[in-house]
Amino acid sequence: MPERDERFDEPAVRFDRVSLSYGPEADVLADVSLQLKPGSMTFLTGPSGAGKSTLLRLAYLALRPSTGRVSLFGIDTGKLNRPTLARLRRRIGVVFQEFRLLEHLTAYENVALPLRVNGDQEKRYRDDVVDLLKWVGLGDRLDARPATLSGGEKQRVAIARAVVVKPDLIIADEPTGNVDEEMGERLLRLFRELNRRLGTTLLIATHDLNMVRKAKADVLRLADGMVVRVAAPPPAVEEAPA
Amino acid sequence: MRTTGTSPLLPKEDAREAALFFVVCALCFLAALSGLVARSAYAAADSWTEQVTGQITIRVRGTDGDATRAVSLVSQTPGIRSAHVLARKEAEELLKPWLGASGVPADLPLPHLIAAEGSGNATGLGDALSKKLSGAGIDATVDDHVTWSQDVKRATDSAGLVALIAVALLGMTAIAVIAFATHATLLARKDIVELLHLSGARDSYISGLFEQRFLMLGVQAGAVGALLAFGAAAFILFVVKQSDQRIWLLPQLSLSLADGLILGLAPLLAGVAAMLAAKVTVLRSLSDMV
Repeated sequence: MPERDERFDEPAVRFDRVSLSYGPEADVLADVSLQLKPGSMTFLTGPSGAGKSTLLRLAYLALRPSTGRVSLFGIDTGKLNRPTLARLRRRIGVVFQEFRLLEHLTAYENVALPLRVNGDQEKRYRDDVVDLLKWVGLGDRLDARPATLSGGEKQRVAIARAVVVKPDLIIADEPTGNVDEEMGERLLRLFRELNRRLGTTLLIATHDLNMVRKAKADVLRLADGMVVRVAAPPPAVEEAPA
Repeated sequence: MRTTGTSPLLPKEDAREAALFFVVCALCFLAALSGLVARSAYAAADSWTEQVTGQITIRVRGTDGDATRAVSLVSQTPGIRSAHVLARKEAEELLKPWLGASGVPADLPLPHLIAAEGSGNATGLGDALSKKLSGAGIDATVDDHVTWSQDVKRATDSAGLVALIAVALLGMTAIAVIAFATHATLLARKDIVELLHLSGARDSYISGLFEQRFLMLGVQAGAVGALLAFGAAAFILFVVKQSDQRIWLLPQLSLSLADGLILGLAPLLAGVAAMLAAKVTVLRSLSDMV
């Protein structure tokens, strides 16, 4: 089990009146406040262009808010220096919508990337990475490069890369967008297993309402840059004023 | 089954890096060659000055007796180590380059030439000898080669300075080109940089990947450039030796330890310049990310 922050009771993700705009245009996100309890599983839904990806980018520290505060594991990320931010990012696994696999690395090497960045020795993680790739159905594609993988296979490699470090928080942007229903269910089971067994907090943006229904998890609905609806159970979430 | 995680995180070099390799190689070749020329110019200046320092030639217009008397006066002058009248044969030998191998007609009178050697630190000997000989009623011209050697030194120093400026300019050009190429490479690798950044890699870790890549590129390209410069210098030496010609500065161009140092330093400097340019460029780009 990964090392937990001593402030375990603090929300894993907390947005306090967060707004984000690019230049003088209207806010992409407007005055969003929310909290994700540690060990919770939350789906983020909403129409295209509602700001889901932007919200996720703020949560995985690719963006800074224009106003407001983003805290992870009880730490105000706006006050951190770069090395501390780097350490914090290692506690987050991200499944990017566009996969972001490195074309010159094999599937195995792509999955092992966060471990290499952590400075782990290959002999210590090799079996885990192979097992993980077998679990996502890519046991026979370990040495395949992304160019030879289908969209669904790339998606699974990206998911394996996000979970390989057993992060405290997994943020996924449309993780089942390119996989068939059966694989979608397997991936959902993987997420649930991580959530239940390791206490990993999950924030998943999706259009897949079927997956949302099956997961029976918290749901945030985003529209026009604002959180407009929170499905049960609501106590973990504070809806921003509309 | 391979399944190892040892592939480099940066992809192997692409066309951009091949072009950069060529540019760094060419710049290093020119810089190393300029360095060799600068060193040889300074060595030439020192060598030629050393050769003529203390050498005094006195032309006596008069009889053999005047020449003998002049030698006696010159020999007794403080600061003069030795003096002797050049025999006709020695004088003819000196005139050979101008009058050809057929030599000087036997009936052509030649001035009496006295070769004197002063101690290296004696200054103003030429003027003192002129006054002394003139005072003794001997019609003589004293040439202590000071003017000539100063001209040579000025010329060789200028050549050396020009070569040094060329080296400095080439070095700065190399750094600018490398920085530009690194920036272009980084833009092409932005996806990798951002992924590593979001995976929790420290700035120094990401920068280190590029620094290592560009250090190796700089050293390798610099080594090839320095080798080519060595080849060019060796070729020039070979041609000079084959033709048995003495060309102003070229006789000083030798592949000595100092030249080896210049050739060895060129790739190291190219590597360090490339590494630093990569570091600055990468860290600057990373500072734009959260």
